[in-house]
Amino acid sequence: MSTAKKQEFVTIIKRIMRKISDDVIKQNQMPILDLPKIGYDNTIWSDEKRMLTTGDKKIEVSPDSVKKIPTFAQYLVMANAVKKLLDEDMESTIRGMYYATLSNVGDDKNKQKFWTGQEDSDNAIKAVELLTGIPREEFSVTSKPKGMISGPIKLRVGGDIIDCNLGSRATSQLIPTNMGDVQIDDVKADFVMVVEKDTVLNNIRKSGFIQKYNAILLTGSGEPDRATRMMVKILNEQWKKPVVVFADADPWGLGIALRYKIGSESLSYDSERLVTPDAQVLGMMFSDIYQYNIPEVARLTASDEDINRAHDMKKKPWMQNKQWQKELNLFLNKKEKCELDAFFKHGFKYLSETYLPQKLRMVGLI
Amino acid sequence: MPNKSASTVLNPAEDQVKVEIEELKKDNSQSTTKLEKYKIIYNKKAESEFFVDNSALAGFTGERILYMAIRELIENSLDSCESFSILPSIKISLKIFDQANDLWMLACEDNGTGINSDKLPIAVCSFLTSAKYMEKQQRGLFGVGLKMVAAFSTKDTDFPIKVWNKSIDEQDEYYFELRTDIGTNKPIVLSKKLLPKQHSRIQDTSGFRIEVILRAKLLPITKNKIYEYVSETSIVNPYSSITFETDDGIFQFNRRTSIMPSPAQEILPHPSDMDLKTLKKAISKFQTQKMSLPKILSSSFQKLSYEKAKDIVTNTGLSLKTPTGDFSEHDLIKIVNICKKTKFQNPNTDHLSPIGREVLTIGMMSEYTIVSNKGNDNTEVTVTAQAQAPSQAQAQATAEKPILNNANPNPQVADDNVTASTIESEQSEESTPTPMPTPTPLKNSLSKSNFSVKVLKPVLTTYTSRTCVINNRPTVVETGLAYGGDIPSFKLYRFANKIPLLYDEGSDVAREVISEVEINKMGITKKQAKEQFSVNKESKKDRAIEVLPLHIFFHICSTKIPYKTAGKESIASEGELKYYMKSSLSELYRKLSTQIRKELKLKEAENKIRLYKHYLPFIVDSINESLGSKNSKLNESFTKLIENHLSKKPQIDIDIGNASSADSPLPVQTSQEMDLADVDLESDIQEAQLIKETKDIQKTKDIQKTKDIQKTKDIQKTKTTAFSKPNLNKLERKKKANKKVDPSLAGKLSKVDPTKNVTKNKKPKGTIKKLIIKGKGTTNKKNKSLAMKTSVNRAKTNKSFNKPQNQNQSKTKEVQSTIDSYSKRVNKGKKK
Repeated sequence: MSTAKKQEFVTIIKRIMRKISDDVIKQNQMPILDLPKIGYDNTIWSDEKRMLTTGDKKIEVSPDSVKKIPTFAQYLVMANAVKKLLDEDMESTIRGMYYATLSNVGDDKNKQKFWTGQEDSDNAIKAVELLTGIPREEFSVTSKPKGMISGPIKLRVGGDIIDCNLGSRATSQLIPTNMGDVQIDDVKADFVMVVEKDTVLNNIRKSGFIQKYNAILLTGSGEPDRATRMMVKILNEQWKKPVVVFADADPWGLGIALRYKIGSESLSYDSERLVTPDAQVLGMMFSDIYQYNIPEVARLTASDEDINRAHDMKKKPWMQNKQWQKELNLFLNKKEKCELDAFFKHGFKYLSETYLPQKLRMVGLI
Repeated sequence: MPNKSASTVLNPAEDQVKVEIEELKKDNSQSTTKLEKYKIIYNKKAESEFFVDNSALAGFTGERILYMAIRELIENSLDSCESFSILPSIKISLKIFDQANDLWMLACEDNGTGINSDKLPIAVCSFLTSAKYMEKQQRGLFGVGLKMVAAFSTKDTDFPIKVWNKSIDEQDEYYFELRTDIGTNKPIVLSKKLLPKQHSRIQDTSGFRIEVILRAKLLPITKNKIYEYVSETSIVNPYSSITFETDDGIFQFNRRTSIMPSPAQEILPHPSDMDLKTLKKAISKFQTQKMSLPKILSSSFQKLSYEKAKDIVTNTGLSLKTPTGDFSEHDLIKIVNICKKTKFQNPNTDHLSPIGREVLTIGMMSEYTIVSNKGNDNTEVTVTAQAQAPSQAQAQATAEKPILNNANPNPQVADDNVTASTIESEQSEESTPTPMPTPTPLKNSLSKSNFSVKVLKPVLTTYTSRTCVINNRPTVVETGLAYGGDIPSFKLYRFANKIPLLYDEGSDVAREVISEVEINKMGITKKQAKEQFSVNKESKKDRAIEVLPLHIFFHICSTKIPYKTAGKESIASEGELKYYMKSSLSELYRKLSTQIRKELKLKEAENKIRLYKHYLPFIVDSINESLGSKNSKLNESFTKLIENHLSKKPQIDIDIGNASSADSPLPVQTSQEMDLADVDLESDIQEAQLIKETKDIQKTKDIQKTKDIQKTKDIQKTKTTAFSKPNLNKLERKKKANKKVDPSLAGKLSKVDPTKNVTKNKKPKGTIKKLIIKGKGTTNKKNKSLAMKTSVNRAKTNKSFNKPQNQNQSKTKEVQSTIDSYSKRVNKGKKK
């Protein structure tokens, strides 16, 4: 991480703290923290940018009520903790920050925890991001690496080189969470393929798919973390590699696939850094269940939650093309879902040697 | 007995016999030594002597003498008043008379019926002489109590018992000086005077006053019991006025109602309770009249018609024609046997006089209690004890120590001391409790004393009663609860026939009942009770119920109370008594649940709110650390700022809070509805209203905020809130209305009517098409259409978010709820 960014962060935090202190001591007025509102009701679909963005709604956090004093305290404590982290030139995960700031509030008679759980402190970290306008990777707060990458690409982190193309089919590399420090070298692939889960990725890698089609394989292992999304975006926009996404044929899987393409409500303020609007979601389509004759035993019955989510999705502006509407209608009719792993029922190599090539051929990538 | 020398055992009346025996002895002294050795002497003992020798039978033991004496006198007075429905006014006085010799002067005056002056000496002095030998509920039953007091006075002192008496059937007041002849169970009348009007002592139309000197030691524990006894008597007899004068001052227990429970009526015995004795008694009563056996039966027992009596006699095979006098015991026992097997209607309860809902509620609503200032009181008593007898003082001091240290083995006493101290502190806060009939403690005498009368007003009382048959006798179980308010801690009150039971609580059936009825009948868990109601967390009591500010009252009336011991201080779990008590208590717990749950919520909220102060150091430290400087002013200014802010706010806040809660009985729902309303407007006219919106959000926030503060307020002043409701309600509605008909937005509103939104919701397809068409316009319009759609969706999404919103209404928490749902999805992903 650049020292300049750190410096910027510290300056902003000091400015905020100074402002609060001045408000209280000199002006004798309630200090207020202005934050953009994050959540479903302040998330807007931008047709222009083809991604979810944050609306103009603001929330003001101010210690003017008994209910809000804890929140206000949490934000300041977290901001101060991050400053300390930078002062010590250390890195921490979000969980680490949670532990670093754990404490009890109150006396013996009435006691409660400063954080009710890690979600509270994650929230405060988010607030610090929003207050400073600096994403947390850049102030050294990261999460556990989750994303995996495999293929003809080299990553430089500090002085180290991570070669993701080890020439074998043996393993994948974790995507470093501090993407700000990562330089990408030697991208020799023709395209990037993102799959939902690491199990599927392993299967595809083992089959020699990378070598055969000259592809980079990526996965976010479920819900992708920020680093994975950034990696996809960089490969697509800086290295001009087409990106295709494969996820399970169910509303949740589709949601994950869309996370790469349009972003998410909870991170809508950071979409510009994370979203790859040109990514193509190729599968697994609901129609594939029937087209590829997934046997009934490998299909799953949709839950009520799935159905609701599908109904919801159908109305989203980014789902308004004919193909998606057709797919969702099919799902709502059949009420059946299916995982990518179901192709293993047709044989362990079916997915990588039959299904994926067929799909990729359809869009002219191979 | 045989070892005792004959002369001390025998009564003077039997002197003759004694002499004869002794003569016999002399005659045969030499020849029949063996006979003499095994000679057993049988003596008759007077009732008075028997009771004095076995005073424990009547509860007169050691340190309890004064307690029992006061008890007997008060009970007699109350019985005497109630039998003629006279509202009792009782004055009792217990004062040290001769400290060196432990002599106490005990006086009791009432406005009851008095005693016919001819009968008075016997009634006061002769054991087993009573006007109460009948089948009805009375406090006294045996004709022992008063006589015991008189006998003890005679036994231990040479003072006469002084009695002033104005009987209801006489015009004049008489003055007596009496002593008991313990050896013969006969009164000794030292003096009987007709008092002229000007010397009259008794002001009421009738009455009775007794003054006795008793020798006894008054330990602090007994004194507490006496005070407790008088207090509790005033609680179950709120229609009586009791003045209690002691060396600690005068305690006045006011009459709080003029309603008296209807007096008990004498009734005939129930046939299922018949035995040979009752049957023979009934027959002998009608001996002179020539009546047939069935006729006698039907007029001597209740629920037994002539026809039924005839059937019973016929069933025994006895001839109806035999004159009743000719039946042998062998014949009569057959009747008893049949009666035991026959089913009769349940006995009636006219002979019982339960307190009743109305009267007990009045008693519970204003509990008069004598409270003590524990520290000083005990030391004072210790001093007097030392002055009395140096040799005994040592022992006494050690005996008193447990009380001083509050570690007395008797939990009752320990409890009391705690109670007293808490009340003391409460009293200092609110100088004058405003009870309906103000207690009139004589301030002068009481201000110096360590004891005072305190009126406890609970916030809630409940009552229930059950009638059942225990011991073959109809029994009424009355149960009451008094909760909250001035009540500082848990206490169990036990009464039997309106007499407070103070000793042996641990072995009483009521104790079992309380420990067996689960606290969750109140709708709260043990854990909640302990956490939220414990006064201090260290001394966690075992039973959750005992941390509640709750007084439980059990009153059992019957002519045959199943006492556990001869002392009549605890009730045994006889028959179905426990079952009825449990079901009563459960019922009352349920009635309490609304209130207690409300309080629990308030307490939880209050505890949370109290925490805010502890957050300030976090804020201040963070700022100081970040700035790398320590501004000492920051803490001070911040605290001041927030405290000022919070203390100013509630005034307005409460109003809004009220307005919203006035719309619907469920405040939480209302806030949600309002939220939704706001959201609808916001999204429909999003761009035009951006500035407005932020205000809206603030407003909703404010409302939520107010609720919190309102809660705090509620705790402080429950009553103040109600006033401004209707007006502000209107205001609030106006505000809403204004918002909706804002002319600058009218155009937009008509385009995107909220009602259309609803229909759109029903036909999603149509909406989508429309939206797509709109989407082809400018970006602005596109954005708007999107917003509209999200608003449509939101109705649904909102539902899923309702719960978290409910709990943490703060808007900032919404971020969290979104994150929650995301983390769910992530988890779901992981599972795959």
